[in-house]
Amino acid sequence: MDLNLDAPHSMGTTIIGVTYNGGVVLGADSRTSTGMYVANRASDKITQLTDNVYVCRSGSAADSQVVSDYVRYFLHQHTIQLGQPATVKVSANLIRMLAYNNKNMLQTGLIVGGWDKYEGGKIYGIPLGGTVVEQPFASGGSGSSYLYGFFDQAWKENMTKEEAEQLVVKAVSLAIARDGASGGVVRTVIINSEGVTRNFYPGDKLQLWHEELEPQNSLLDILNAAGPEPMAM
Amino acid sequence: MTFTIPIDNGDAVKNAEADSQRTLYPYVTGTSIVAIKYKDGVLMASDMGGSYGSTLRYKNIERMKAIGKHSLLGASGEISDFQEILRYLDELVLNDNMWDDGNSLGPKEVHNYLTRVMYNRRNKFNPLWNTLVLGGVKNGETYLGMVSMIGVSFEDNHVATGFGNHLARPILRDEWHADLSFEDGVKLLEKCMRVLLYRDRSAINKLQIAKITEEGVTVSQPYSLKTFWEFKAFHNPTAGAEGSW
Repeated sequence: MDLNLDAPHSMGTTIIGVTYNGGVVLGADSRTSTGMYVANRASDKITQLTDNVYVCRSGSAADSQVVSDYVRYFLHQHTIQLGQPATVKVSANLIRMLAYNNKNMLQTGLIVGGWDKYEGGKIYGIPLGGTVVEQPFASGGSGSSYLYGFFDQAWKENMTKEEAEQLVVKAVSLAIARDGASGGVVRTVIINSEGVTRNFYPGDKLQLWHEELEPQNSLLDILNAAGPEPMAM
Repeated sequence: MTFTIPIDNGDAVKNAEADSQRTLYPYVTGTSIVAIKYKDGVLMASDMGGSYGSTLRYKNIERMKAIGKHSLLGASGEISDFQEILRYLDELVLNDNMWDDGNSLGPKEVHNYLTRVMYNRRNKFNPLWNTLVLGGVKNGETYLGMVSMIGVSFEDNHVATGFGNHLARPILRDEWHADLSFEDGVKLLEKCMRVLLYRDRSAINKLQIAKITEEGVTVSQPYSLKTFWEFKAFHNPTAGAEGSW
């Protein structure tokens, strides 16, 4: 099995954006892979565009970084000219402009989420090709395949901030369990009228799923703790 | 000695394509549109699905939009290209309004504009990956036409895109007639949409029906159709021939 260390850096990824009663919660895993090697096990895929708008990045790490860099630059100028914070819709449309006009060269799916005083919390999904879709919740990246059914069942309208964040953490964690290209920690960003909160959930803070075991320091701890014959059939 | 950046086979293909700007394949696609002329104008039906390959990824996409005062545009194919076409048409309608001369673009003109755009993009090997249906009423005249991604353009009393070509048009050829009432028109479209729901993998059961008359455009709320599964033969199809289907 060759590691192919020259393969382009890609964020296999699971990214999620969810609206709730008052704002949005964005979530993502933290794995960046180069072929089969995990180049960065603690990446931050939720990137700031403005004080009130963030974007979740998936697909090619390079493409998503350069798109978000350009949009951050454009939005900075736009905010100065406008004299007030940019809206989430404008941010999404700038991303769309780059994604659509360079559709042949880019390979990145993005989720734009934020809060502005006109529309409140909004999530815009921008998949490959440059379509913009405003959604109450969105998922993307390779890990999202495992979440369509989960969200169909678990998403409800008008959740509280706590419910929304728990849903996002649960979903990313489930995707990490099944998608080899997703892993590491779960990062969340909550955006509402009051501001932005970043949270960090390492693996040991998450609940265990099917066939997952409680992590131990060593087998020796198990052997010493258990009674006689821990290794017998 | 020149230094060449190693490119593997996949990138060589991608680089060649990146140099010549061309849309190669669609990503998020809409399936069939079905439309008919009726007594007061045009009725058009579409589902609200946006497929991503074989995944039914988006279930709330409006694929029919009003254009100006007199036209209704429905699109199947790549949704991002449809969104771009809507931007072009926005500019067209804006400039039309700015003349402030009492005149406004009718469906014939919009259809002609779209035909030119689609055909010219096809000639540059960079198509807008859509099949468009344009219906409208102006000055009492009802108009219904379609344009494909290669610029094939025509008018007819009833049109359908994608799978609708194969499944809906035979039904329409048999059952369409001039001066259909609104109710009969809706029932006819629903008959077509139900067949598409049974037989088109990318169809979803959430549709809208839009109507355009001299008064203007109305797009219905999203709704679902009942489907029928209680044929006797469906209950135990392989009894007596185990392993068959």
